[in-house]
Amino acid sequence: MIVNIYTLIMLFVAIFSLSLGGLLFLLTIKTLISFQTTVPLEDKSKFERKGYLVFLLACVTLSVRMVVWPWFYFMLQSFVSEVPGAMCMFGVTQILPSTITFLQVIKPIAFFIMGGWLLCYYVDKSTPTAPLARKNLLFLLIVCGVLLTDGIADVYYVIRMKPLMSVSCCATFFDVPLRPSAMIPQAIFGRNFQKILFILYYLTNIILIVLLFTSISRKWTLLTPKYRMIILYSQGILGIINIPVVIYTVIENIAPKLMQLPYHHCIYCLMGNGMVPDAPIMLGLFVIGTFAIGWMAILRLLCNNGEARLITERLLVKVNNLSAFCLLASLLMVTIHLILI
Amino acid sequence: MTKKFWIGLAIIFAIALIGVSYQKFLKNPRCAYEGSAITPIYEVDIVLMDKSVKKFCSIFCASQWFRNNVKLVNHVIVTDEIRGNKIDSYMAYFVESELITNETNDNRIHVFQQRQDAITHAEKFHGTMTDDPFSLDE
Repeated sequence: MIVNIYTLIMLFVAIFSLSLGGLLFLLTIKTLISFQTTVPLEDKSKFERKGYLVFLLACVTLSVRMVVWPWFYFMLQSFVSEVPGAMCMFGVTQILPSTITFLQVIKPIAFFIMGGWLLCYYVDKSTPTAPLARKNLLFLLIVCGVLLTDGIADVYYVIRMKPLMSVSCCATFFDVPLRPSAMIPQAIFGRNFQKILFILYYLTNIILIVLLFTSISRKWTLLTPKYRMIILYSQGILGIINIPVVIYTVIENIAPKLMQLPYHHCIYCLMGNGMVPDAPIMLGLFVIGTFAIGWMAILRLLCNNGEARLITERLLVKVNNLSAFCLLASLLMVTIHLILI
Repeated sequence: MTKKFWIGLAIIFAIALIGVSYQKFLKNPRCAYEGSAITPIYEVDIVLMDKSVKKFCSIFCASQWFRNNVKLVNHVIVTDEIRGNKIDSYMAYFVESELITNETNDNRIHVFQQRQDAITHAEKFHGTMTDDPFSLDE
């Protein structure tokens, strides 16, 4: 184990959230088993207190866990000087590669699913009769599962991480002609894939932003339900397509230009080496903008019925605004850098 | 569009401008020979006997300065164009090709850490391998 302030905080948060998460998991199961849609008046305050405790515990635990995602990368960056041969976070990822791949996959999933649950809880809390309590408890069980897996993986990684082997530089992976980030788009778009990717990046982002603005414009209410559905589905599909497009364009086109290293495609160098100080903000805005589209889908799926409809609609507008803003801001930042650098 | 939205965008705009300014003016020093901004990938550092460092934007500028101040120089550090690694000039491979790195001074000399990268560049841009312009032996 490498002992520094980052690992200690990571370990503390992991153990803290594991204990709270475990307790939360048991309490959720217990509450679900004893769940009744109608409660006798004499038991009402006891039932409310218990439910309130479960949800409060969930809010604290999930909020803490969501902050762990960026912290994880701060921790990896702090390991660079400790690992022999590492020039950036990529070198660190060469030690315990399967664990780190798992962590890099589960962290965004956990962030997304926890954000979705917090929004559903907000809707339920805002209604006087809590009509979504049962659904939220069931959703919380899935969230707890992800939270516990993520926490266990964090503890395992921090304890097992030992800089005992020499690792290779990121250039041996990201800058070779047969790198996956070049081969996959090349297989789809042909030899001029970099130009096509770049055009596609702007095209998908601009269309997505326009679609997001359409659903918050005044004309939205004038559209027929059929057109609304088409626009909403298009947002979702384009949001999913936009993820690989942005990832490949950042690696292939944007990172080398922004870092002023025309042959260097390492996304870890872009994010962590301080060459482009605002790069984490650019990618962070893209992540939140994309996740917000997913959160809207979760809200529509779970909360858009009965008493909660009105509150859900209001929240959907806010999340839609957030998504449009974040995607536009990310695109704006990338464009400013590309023009002025 | 709410007021918050526009304020948010203005903040983002400011952050991006600060980021670019940092990269252009603070992070990258000016060339000690001609005063232009130094692109990190083409940076040349001349370390003097008194341990101070002179930074240059290209091999051309660095070699011009080097010729006139050879007695002051301890060693020269060049940057690998592929990976951005800083290496001692005697370990680097130099290629003079048709590709210009700096249009102001028409520098056509490129630096590589790996021999294979130098050969690939020479083939691609009709270049030839050249000697280290910072050789202290002569």
